[in-house]
Amino acid sequence: MTLQEKFESNQFVVCGEITPPQSCDGNVLRDRSRHFKGFVDALNVTDNQRAIVRLSSISSATILLDEGIEPIIQMTCRDRNRLAIQSDLLGAAALGIRNVLCLTGDHQTFGDQPEAKGVFDLDSIQLIAAVATMNSGFLLSGSEMKKPPEFFIGAAANPFAEPFKMRLIRLHKKIAAGARFIQTQAVFDLGIFARWMERVVEMGLHEKAAMLPGVMPVRSVKTLLWMKEKLPGMRIPAEFFSRMSQARDPEEEGITIAVEMIRALKNIRGVRGIHIMPSLWESVTPRIVKEAGLHVAH
Amino acid sequence: MLPPHGQSSIRNASAKSRITPLLENLVALNIRPITVRERKLSHILLFLEDIIKVPLFRCQRCGECILSSTAFICSQNCPKRLRNGPCGGTGEGGSCEVFPDRKCVWYRIYFRSRLLHRVSLLYKVNSIHNWNLEKTSAWLNLFRGRIQGSMLFLRNDTQKVKDIISDDAAGKI
Repeated sequence: MTLQEKFESNQFVVCGEITPPQSCDGNVLRDRSRHFKGFVDALNVTDNQRAIVRLSSISSATILLDEGIEPIIQMTCRDRNRLAIQSDLLGAAALGIRNVLCLTGDHQTFGDQPEAKGVFDLDSIQLIAAVATMNSGFLLSGSEMKKPPEFFIGAAANPFAEPFKMRLIRLHKKIAAGARFIQTQAVFDLGIFARWMERVVEMGLHEKAAMLPGVMPVRSVKTLLWMKEKLPGMRIPAEFFSRMSQARDPEEEGITIAVEMIRALKNIRGVRGIHIMPSLWESVTPRIVKEAGLHVAH
Repeated sequence: MLPPHGQSSIRNASAKSRITPLLENLVALNIRPITVRERKLSHILLFLEDIIKVPLFRCQRCGECILSSTAFICSQNCPKRLRNGPCGGTGEGGSCEVFPDRKCVWYRIYFRSRLLHRVSLLYKVNSIHNWNLEKTSAWLNLFRGRIQGSMLFLRNDTQKVKDIISDDAAGKI
């Protein structure tokens, strides 16, 4: 069953996220992916996340397909103009990749090569519309394709960045442009997320696209501090800092927090799945999925 | 200064190309190329346009002005040049993720849109930028039908605004 079919048959979906290595060693990726196998329905493959060069998301996704894991490729607008985006997407479709998460992309100044030229020919909303156009059988030039791709289009949302109402307008635009599933930024502030979901349900957006809140297990207070400082648009309540710093075993506490978070998120109306982002702590995924009582259908 | 604009006629000549409503609202297909004669006029008009728009709006001369839908704040001052709303990195208090000392352009656009009762205009999906129009006169481009109409005198909830929003590329998928 593909990710799309799982959403269509109203299953509760679990997505993971994998970071490709900074080298051409496919085995590193294979090893990392084994932690997810059988525990997630689909796996996001990041596309030069934080503007740092890594193994390309499409190539990594092909490796995951070989491993029997359904990939979701992330496609950003930072590194490609409209020509490259269309050509890469056609390549991805030819390799059997079906899911695309459309993102604007982190600004190049956050990476390790800040001198680079950022492209941003399209923005995420235009990218979603472009993929939808390709699905309908046309390239952006207007020429018709003999065999159109059949991408299942996803998008991201950040309920925690200001201005909050503008985020809902943007979500509306993304879904109207063709996004069918939405993965959110990692949830730490449950109050804000619950209020945001209420508004999403009011607007009827949860019926048009599946909402998947993000959960990020954290290993130590240091990581938490780094996230607060370095990841723009993150909101972490003070409560988590004290819990993590007082814990005897911060890793255990991190897992407990993630499991509690998933249990709470599952009960919010409109939530259709969970998106787990373990960053480079992949080995934690099976435990979190089991302890949170998530079942993955095969 | 001005890029060559003749190329787009190559695409126009293609017999296979068909424009779907979805596509029409996303990319500027089949627009009239800027002729050599027009380029001179564009230069003169751009000079006048700059005198007004650069000091008032910090205009970035994209040639495809959407100021009227962004509460008269130039969205092209965004480091990512986003035309459809803020990225996910706006910090607390609305700071830009790339230049934390600045306010996010879209944060300012949202709050000024509220002030001017123009929030519904933010629902419009703005088309992909036509880079051929970079550093040309938006006034000339508007007059020659190369870019979408200005929404200067529109406010929230008028029927015309509703038409624009529902008539969007987005609604037709």
